[in-house]
Amino acid sequence: MTDSILLVAVVAVPLGAALVSLVCSLRFQIAIALLFQVVAFGLALTVIARVLQVGHIGAFAHWLYLDSLSSVVMLVVTIVSVLATFYSAGYLRHELHEKVIKSDELRKYFVLFHLFVFAMLLVTISGNLGLLWTAISATTLASAPLVDFYGSHEPLEAAWKYIVLTVAGSLLALLGLLLLYQSGVGPLGNSYDFSIPVLAGAAPHLSPTLAATAFLLILVGFGTKAGLAPMHSWLPDAHSQAPSPICAMLSGAELNCAMLGIFRVYTLTAAAAGAATLRTGMLVFGLLSMIVAVVFLISQRNFKRLLAYSSVEQMGLISVGVGLGNPLALIGALLLMVTHGFTKCLMFFATGNLLLRFRSTTIREIQGVVRAMPWTALLLVGGALAIAGAPPFGVFISEFSIIAGAFAGHLWVLGSLIAALLLLGFIPLVVPFHRMTFSNAETGGEVAQAELSTLTLLPAFILLGAVLVIGVWIPDPLDQLLHHAATVLTR
Amino acid sequence: MALAEAVLATLILIATFALLIARQVRGAINCYAAQSILLGGLAIAMFAGSRLPHLLVLGLLTIGIKGIVIPAVVRYQVRGSSYQRREIAYYVGFPTALILGAGLSLVGLVAASRLPFHPYLLSEPVLGLAIAVILLGLFTTMARRDAVLQLAGLLAAENGLLLVGLVVSPELGLLIEFALVLDVVIGVAVMGFLIARMHETVASTDTSELSRLRG
Repeated sequence: MTDSILLVAVVAVPLGAALVSLVCSLRFQIAIALLFQVVAFGLALTVIARVLQVGHIGAFAHWLYLDSLSSVVMLVVTIVSVLATFYSAGYLRHELHEKVIKSDELRKYFVLFHLFVFAMLLVTISGNLGLLWTAISATTLASAPLVDFYGSHEPLEAAWKYIVLTVAGSLLALLGLLLLYQSGVGPLGNSYDFSIPVLAGAAPHLSPTLAATAFLLILVGFGTKAGLAPMHSWLPDAHSQAPSPICAMLSGAELNCAMLGIFRVYTLTAAAAGAATLRTGMLVFGLLSMIVAVVFLISQRNFKRLLAYSSVEQMGLISVGVGLGNPLALIGALLLMVTHGFTKCLMFFATGNLLLRFRSTTIREIQGVVRAMPWTALLLVGGALAIAGAPPFGVFISEFSIIAGAFAGHLWVLGSLIAALLLLGFIPLVVPFHRMTFSNAETGGEVAQAELSTLTLLPAFILLGAVLVIGVWIPDPLDQLLHHAATVLTR
Repeated sequence: MALAEAVLATLILIATFALLIARQVRGAINCYAAQSILLGGLAIAMFAGSRLPHLLVLGLLTIGIKGIVIPAVVRYQVRGSSYQRREIAYYVGFPTALILGAGLSLVGLVAASRLPFHPYLLSEPVLGLAIAVILLGLFTTMARRDAVLQLAGLLAAENGLLLVGLVVSPELGLLIEFALVLDVVIGVAVMGFLIARMHETVASTDTSELSRLRG
C-alpha cells in the first residue's frame, strides 16, 4: 500500500508542479520549481532505496512497476532533473537580466520542464508496456517546445526534425509492441494484461518469430529516440539548439529513458527469440553509432554539437555493452548510463556558462576562459577529460569494464575495435575545451574575471565530484543496484 | 461480413496511396480525412459482427477526431487559398514515389504472411494491408518536403498502426487505442503549433527552408 502511494507520488509531484506553475504568478516560478523538484528527488530516492530492500515494487495491477533496472535510470533522471532545476534558476535569471528572454516566458519554460520530468519519471515506473510507450512519446512532446524555446530559425528547424523523426520512430516501436502482444497470445490467451511481470512469466513461451520481429522494430523505433545511428540525425540539432539546462536533461537523462525501453523489451523477448540474435542487433547498431559519432567528432567546430555527437558515441557503447551480454560488460554498460548521464549534464552546464558569457557556440570564437571564468574553466577541463574517458573518472571505469567484458568473452577484435574508437574520439573531445580554456584572447587585457553565479556553478561541481568519486570507489548501494540490474538483464 | 472488412481495409490502403501522390496540400488533407473515416467505418463494421462495445466507441472517435476535427485544424492552420492549392515538392520524383510505394506495399503484405499469426476478428491479409499503410505513411513523411505533408504521412502511419491494433488485439481494452488517440491529439497540438511557428518564422512550410543545421 505504501509502495503504491510512493510510486504515484514520484510522478504526481512533478505533474503537480506543472499545474501550480501554470496558475502561479511569475515571481514564484523559480521557487515553486525548486521546492517541487527537491521533493520529487527525495521521493525518488526513497523508492529506489525500497527497491534495494525488496527487489521490485509494483502498484495498480502491474500498471506501475519499478525494479533495479528501471531504478538505475530513475536515479540518473532524478539527480539530473533536480540539478538542472537549480541550474535553470541561475541560467534563466541571467537570461532575464540580459533581456534575452521575457519574464512571461518563465512560465512556459517551467510548465514544460515539469512535464518533461514527469514524463521521464513515468517511463521508469511504467509496468504496462502501453504506458511505457506513451510515457516515452510524452518525453518528446514535452521537450520539443523546449528545444524551440528561443524561437528563432535554427531552434525551430531542430524541433521539427526532432518531432518528425522521433514520432516516426515511436510508431515503429508501437508496431513492435503490438507484435509483442500478439506473440503472447499463444501462452496467455487473446486478452491478457500487457505488463512486464505477466510477460516475463510467460517469456520462454512467446512466439519466437514474432518476439524477434518485435524486438527489432523496438530497437529501431526507440533507438531513434536513443540516438543510435543511422537514426540519430535529429540529435545533434536538438541537443545543440535547446537552452543549456534542457540540453543537459535531453542528453543526460532522456536518452537513458529510451534505452530503458529497448532493454526492457530485450529482457522479455530474449528467452523466446534467443538472446544471441537480439544481442547481435544491439551490437550492430551500437558499433555503427560509435563509428558515425567518431567521424563527426573529428570534424566538429561547434562545442554543443561536439557534446551531442559524444552522446551518440556513448549511447552506442551502452548498446554494445548490453549486446556483449556478459556480467562485466553489463555492469559497465549500466554504470555508463549513470556516469555518462552525470558527466554530459555537467558539460552542458559548464558550456552553458560559456554561452551566457560569450554568446557563441563556435569553438574558435572563445578564448581565455581560464582568466574570464576560472571556476567554469576548471569544470570544462575536468569535465572534458571525464567525458572523453580519462582515468580516474567514472566514465573511464565504465568503458574499461565494457572492453574487459569483450576480452573476457574472447572477442579480441571487437574489444580492440571499441578501444580504438574510444581513443580516436578522445583527442577531438578534449582538445577544443583545452584550447578554449587556455589559449590567449587577443583582447586579453580586457577580459574581466566574472563568474555568473553560484547557482550556475554548484550543480556542475556536485556532478564533477560524483563522477570523480564513482571513478575511484563505487558506493555500496549503487554497486548493489547495478548488480541487481545486471541480473535482470541476464534473466 | 469479412468481405466488407476486407473491402474497407483495401480502400484504406488506396487512400494512403492517394496521399502519397497528392498534388496539393488541400487534397492531401482530404486523403487523410478519407482514410480516417474508412478506418472508423471498419471498426464499426467489426462491432456489428462482434458486438464488442469498445469497437463502436473507437470507430466513432476515429471518425470524429481523425476524420473531422484534425483535418479541420490542419486546414485552418494552412488557410490561405494560394497555399492550399499550391503544387508541392517531392524529395523523390513522382513516378519513383509511385513505384517505391508499390514496392513497400508488397513488402508489407509479404512480411505479414510470414509472421505466425493468431487470427481473431480480422483475417491475415488485413494485417498485410495495415503494415503496408504504415510503411506508405512513413515513406510519405520521408519523400515530401512540405511540413504539412510530413505531418499527414505520420498521421496516416498512425492510422495503419491502429489497424494493426484492430487485427492483433481487439480485446486489448482501450489502452492502446486511447494511447493512439491521445498521441494524435497532443501530437497535432505540438505539430500544429510548430507549423504555425514555421509560417511566421520562414513564411512557408517548405522544410527545405529549414536546412541550416548541418554536420
